[in-house]
Amino acid sequence: MRYETVIGLEVHVELATDSKIFCSCSAHSYGAEPNTHVCPACCGMPGMLPIVNKRVVDFGMKAGMMLNCHINRTTTFDKKSYYYPDLPAAFQTTQWFSPVAVNGLVEIETKDGKKGIRIKQIHMEEDAGKLVHDIREGTTHVDFNRTSVPLIEIVSQPDLSSADEVEAYLDRLKTLLRYARVAECEMAHGTMRCDVNLSVRPEGATEYGVRTEIKNMNSIEAIKRAIEYETARHIDAVENGTEVLVQETRRWDDIKGKSFAMRTKETAGDYRYFPDPNIMPVVIDDTWFEKIKASLPEFPETKLARYTEEYALTEYDAKRLCESIALCECFEGAMKVCGNAKDAANWMISDVMKTLNARQMTYDMLKLNGETLGKLIKLVADGKVSRPNGRKILDVMFDDSRLDPEAYAKENSLIISTDTGLVDKVIQAAIASDPKAVADFKGGKEKALMALFGKCMKELRGNCNPQELRTLLIDAINKID
Amino acid sequence: MDRETLRKLAMLNQLSLNEEQKASVIAFFAKRDEELGVLNNIDTENVERMVHVCPIETVVREDVIDQKFQREDLQKGAVDTDEGYWCVPRVVE
Repeated sequence: MRYETVIGLEVHVELATDSKIFCSCSAHSYGAEPNTHVCPACCGMPGMLPIVNKRVVDFGMKAGMMLNCHINRTTTFDKKSYYYPDLPAAFQTTQWFSPVAVNGLVEIETKDGKKGIRIKQIHMEEDAGKLVHDIREGTTHVDFNRTSVPLIEIVSQPDLSSADEVEAYLDRLKTLLRYARVAECEMAHGTMRCDVNLSVRPEGATEYGVRTEIKNMNSIEAIKRAIEYETARHIDAVENGTEVLVQETRRWDDIKGKSFAMRTKETAGDYRYFPDPNIMPVVIDDTWFEKIKASLPEFPETKLARYTEEYALTEYDAKRLCESIALCECFEGAMKVCGNAKDAANWMISDVMKTLNARQMTYDMLKLNGETLGKLIKLVADGKVSRPNGRKILDVMFDDSRLDPEAYAKENSLIISTDTGLVDKVIQAAIASDPKAVADFKGGKEKALMALFGKCMKELRGNCNPQELRTLLIDAINKID
Repeated sequence: MDRETLRKLAMLNQLSLNEEQKASVIAFFAKRDEELGVLNNIDTENVERMVHVCPIETVVREDVIDQKFQREDLQKGAVDTDEGYWCVPRVVE
């Protein structure tokens, strides 16, 4: 019998706000001393009242709009009860009865074609604290820095059916949320985490099989491996009776390549959701709604079409740039100044992206000012700075985004020499120093020219047009009897 | 409400109940079930859902950091702290 896998995802995304969702503590405590970004409210002390951070609602709405959701114009917060030391109030403030966004749709593309994945809802909620278990025997240490950091949870319908589709879906979410600048979505940093709900059923069946949930996955590769393992385990259980499947929460051990039961799955009733009496409904009026709508970015597909049609970029180049909103913004800024889209795209792909990779930075970490890059591209295009020296200046610009490339080039003698007398002198000196290379070149060995060319370049510190230097060098050699 | 549901709810709420209390709680919820059953008979088709009982809306604050509390002050009432952490009995094996 053939089986199909049915997968639904719950994706937690940390929102890129400055402060926490219900108090004014900093939301950024990565690497900070424990419990230094806390206050009585996020420590769950009795009597403390939450005040909603407006930007969290802005970002919740924006995320909803990016994923084609309906925005609930009256959205409410609820309490989800559970006891665990990482949750000092013994409840998580989340949204259950009226989440900020519902009924969305995300289109993904895999090698099998395009597919729509329905979004059940997006809700805003607070993160929990961190527990450390290995500092002192018999004790768990608790750090509340992460408590109340704002999250959205994006809940999909069970429309996914393979690891490839899950990967495409997560990539799509990342792209859209990064375009909207609402979240970093970096799994390695923990700013995007994923719970995978999975079951199997005979192909064509309408009833769902027994569902298990794998919690807190934070790498796409691990998610793919976990899906493949769980699918095989479920099919084996259904087909061969190797075990009795139960609805439960499981943990994935990526080193062992196995999942392990954590606890039987809670149902909504177990959490005893109830409306938070301390937070009145958030009412999104027309002005607020329209302001967020107007702030939405150009979607990646629209940008891609514009780059190929308006700027005549190849589809390959346009796609590479559209991988990240930071790349797009830098490219567009550069293009405005240098006036040449192909040149700007070429610099972005050949130099900027390569430098990011060499520095092990993601594309979204790019801080380079597009207009400054445009000035550098123009300097090179106008023949004032050589391309190799342009690359050197770009490298410095990565560390100082306000650097003026022309001023830097002048200060560091990187402007191409217009002194033809100097170039001629350097060429004559190179020829005189290596008669064998001259003889070899004249004898037909093209490669011999490179030695002489290299000497000239070194002497001129790269401050010349390579094509012109080559021509002048060949002319000078040809003049020798 | 049956005994198994009660056992689970008591566990989730960290409550310890004796037999007499269990019987009393089951009887209480049986009565509430009956009353709620009356509400379930009301036709609410095409009635807009009430989101909140109060016709007022929340205030919101701007996204500005204001870090005004010191860890040492917050931990003054703690039973056990270590290296800046609050400490609790170990929760994993």
